[in-house]
Amino acid sequence: MGFKEKYYEYQRPILGMVSVVGLVILWELVFTYLIPLNPFFFTKPSLIAAAFTEHIIRGSLWSDLVISSRAFISGFSLAIIVGIPIGAVMGWRRRVEYTLDPFLTALYASPLVALAPLLIVVLGVGLVAKVVLVFLLSVFPFIFNTAAGVRATDRLLINVVRSFGGREKDLYLKVIFPSTLPYIVAGARIAIGRGIVGILVGEFYAASEGIGFAISRFGDTYMLPEMFSAILVLMIVAVALTEGLRKLEVVLAPWRVGQEAR
Amino acid sequence: MNTLVSVYREREQTILGGGFILLLILAWEFIPSLVSLPRGLSLFFTTPLTVVQTFYQLVVENKIQSHFYISAIEFAVGLAMAIAVGLPLGLVMGRSRTVDAMLDPFVTAFNATPRLIFLPLFILWLGIGIWSKIVIVFIGALFPLLINTYEGVKNVDRVLVNVVRSFGANEWQVMKVVVLPNSVPYIIVGLRLAIGRALLGVVVGEFFGASKGLGYMIASAATNYKADVVFVGVAIFMGLALLLTLPVKKIESKLTRWRPETAKTF
Amino acid sequence: MASKNYAEQNRMVPCIQAKDITLTFKPKNRDPVTALKSLTLDVSQGEFVSIVGPSGCGKSTFLNILLGLIKPDTGEMRLNGKQITGPGQERAMVFQEFGLLPWRTVLANIELGLELKGIQPSVRRERGMELIKMAGLTGFENHYPHELSGGMKQRVGLARALATDPEVLLMDEPFAALDAQTRDLMQAELLQIWDRAKKTVIFVTHSIEEAAYLSDRVIVISARPGRTKDVIKIHLPRPRDYEMRLSPEFNEIKAGIWSTLKEELITKRAGDGV
Repeated sequence: MGFKEKYYEYQRPILGMVSVVGLVILWELVFTYLIPLNPFFFTKPSLIAAAFTEHIIRGSLWSDLVISSRAFISGFSLAIIVGIPIGAVMGWRRRVEYTLDPFLTALYASPLVALAPLLIVVLGVGLVAKVVLVFLLSVFPFIFNTAAGVRATDRLLINVVRSFGGREKDLYLKVIFPSTLPYIVAGARIAIGRGIVGILVGEFYAASEGIGFAISRFGDTYMLPEMFSAILVLMIVAVALTEGLRKLEVVLAPWRVGQEAR
Repeated sequence: MNTLVSVYREREQTILGGGFILLLILAWEFIPSLVSLPRGLSLFFTTPLTVVQTFYQLVVENKIQSHFYISAIEFAVGLAMAIAVGLPLGLVMGRSRTVDAMLDPFVTAFNATPRLIFLPLFILWLGIGIWSKIVIVFIGALFPLLINTYEGVKNVDRVLVNVVRSFGANEWQVMKVVVLPNSVPYIIVGLRLAIGRALLGVVVGEFFGASKGLGYMIASAATNYKADVVFVGVAIFMGLALLLTLPVKKIESKLTRWRPETAKTF
Repeated sequence: MASKNYAEQNRMVPCIQAKDITLTFKPKNRDPVTALKSLTLDVSQGEFVSIVGPSGCGKSTFLNILLGLIKPDTGEMRLNGKQITGPGQERAMVFQEFGLLPWRTVLANIELGLELKGIQPSVRRERGMELIKMAGLTGFENHYPHELSGGMKQRVGLARALATDPEVLLMDEPFAALDAQTRDLMQAELLQIWDRAKKTVIFVTHSIEEAAYLSDRVIVISARPGRTKDVIKIHLPRPRDYEMRLSPEFNEIKAGIWSTLKEELITKRAGDGV
């Protein structure tokens, strides 16, 4: 009886792992015994694993990752520093929101990646263009989410703090900021994906280093296992960051049940 | 004077927002004529009026239509495929805990990863024709639809399901009578997000390894320093994004007005 | 052993004086609403006064003016002779929806008022723990509001309000969100705390029974716009126990309050166009 109960508790992660492992095994078996593997078209897990380990040892994968991360972190930090204050003001003063919101929504809806070639041509191939690109793409979730968070502040709590003699500074520090934090983290989670797109666009288009460049180069030279392994690395990073932020959201706001479950 | 004030008060939102945009456009138009740009920058600069003129020119010379047509096909086919796959899959995942658990790692992984990563792979597999772009559009539009449908199905009120079951309904009928209607607002939100992502997918997909389409037009114009054409392309996409999402947003607000919980809004 | 309550001992020392309070809300795009019109009432030091009235009669608005969060259009609100111009340490409110900061522990929530006054953490902690004991929250200091039941949340609210040792306790339907049993329990505890701490309490409620059971006087407010309609003195001895609620005197008192209130409810229904 105890085993069955344990099963139901861990059912989800177990099934998840089973399906992933199952897929990998199936993939390997199919292309080893069933279908002949055309190396210019596809690859299989054992080859990917080999390419992965070799590139870690030889080190170019690692340095590529570092280079791309540098640009990403700079652009992302800039987005945080600029986006959160703008969002906060927008959320607090309705007039500011009225003024800025249509413009920002239009920008958010437009494919800013389209400006990437222009940016690269103007700023040249290199760190600056990538940073600007990452910034442009990842700043919007911070603005909109911070604004939403500030706007959603419980008026009752504001009254409570005021009734106990809190001044404006107290309202910001003790109510608005803690209340908005989970929204900001949610915004960060969304911004990460968009920021990575910025890096990729920058590196696909015109770069000579970085993980995005590595992926496209492997593609051009039909080095499929290496390409898959680079893609896998980036996927792992993306998932780790995104899920990590999701966990952080839950930690910061355990009282918010049923919001943004994914 | 009083009428002006009351008009302002009523339409404050539109006036402030629209006015700001207008201001920016005017500034963009006139500042370059007042301030001289650093020499390198002026090569790539353009002004709103020039953009409009270029747009007109392109339409008249029939240069833009074929690009538009190709991009439109990629968009439509990709989006249709995403709906055809995302909705049923979301329904099944929402109702069956087993399927949900088995597919969850994949959905999480692919949702967190920008699909642009796979573009070189798709080009390798599908060439630089429309199919690699369609797949990019498909992947981008799939996840909002899938996840939101899933949420809509999962969030159905258990009490309502039990009520319908107590009248002897089978699974199919439960779906039809309770689950689907409950999910519609969520699906609409997912559709709105999917449209935005699909448009983005078209642009991004056509950037690298394409020979036709609006994205290609933008990319090649950029390399040839034709900033005005670039902005024509961007403006078209912006316009399309607004045009396509506005009616969906209207439907969405009508349907979600009575809902206390919010669907995924990003 | 009936003890004279504090107010009777300090007979008629006016603590709160509201005179001719008028307040009109002017929401955007809608007709203005006059919440209170020439409302006048007095509360003596150490008194326990309840305010009852039909929905929308302005009871909560009145409390907010007392708290200092809203200013009346006309009229004066005085505390110990001085006009009220804003929130102050002598007044603290217990809110109907609790109003606890969800990201703070129970203890941190109780310490809020002290924190805002700039009191040292060690002193705060001591006082906080005192109140935890008094409010029956021992063992829950490090819990978060969302882990507590409604009754416990309101104990935290009460403890928080008492932490700064205010003279006046304002309570806006504090037990309305609780179930009947918890409500009875909290009422009894409130009376105990009040008897010990000797505070002036202004208690807004919809429940005639609650008002009669708890208070020295019950003030009935008219339907909107709110004015003082009637003041009913509760002649029951203190300390009050549960059995009193079953006595015929209590029922008479309730009937008296009800007959006054009933007129206002009928007026309100007519006014609402029901």
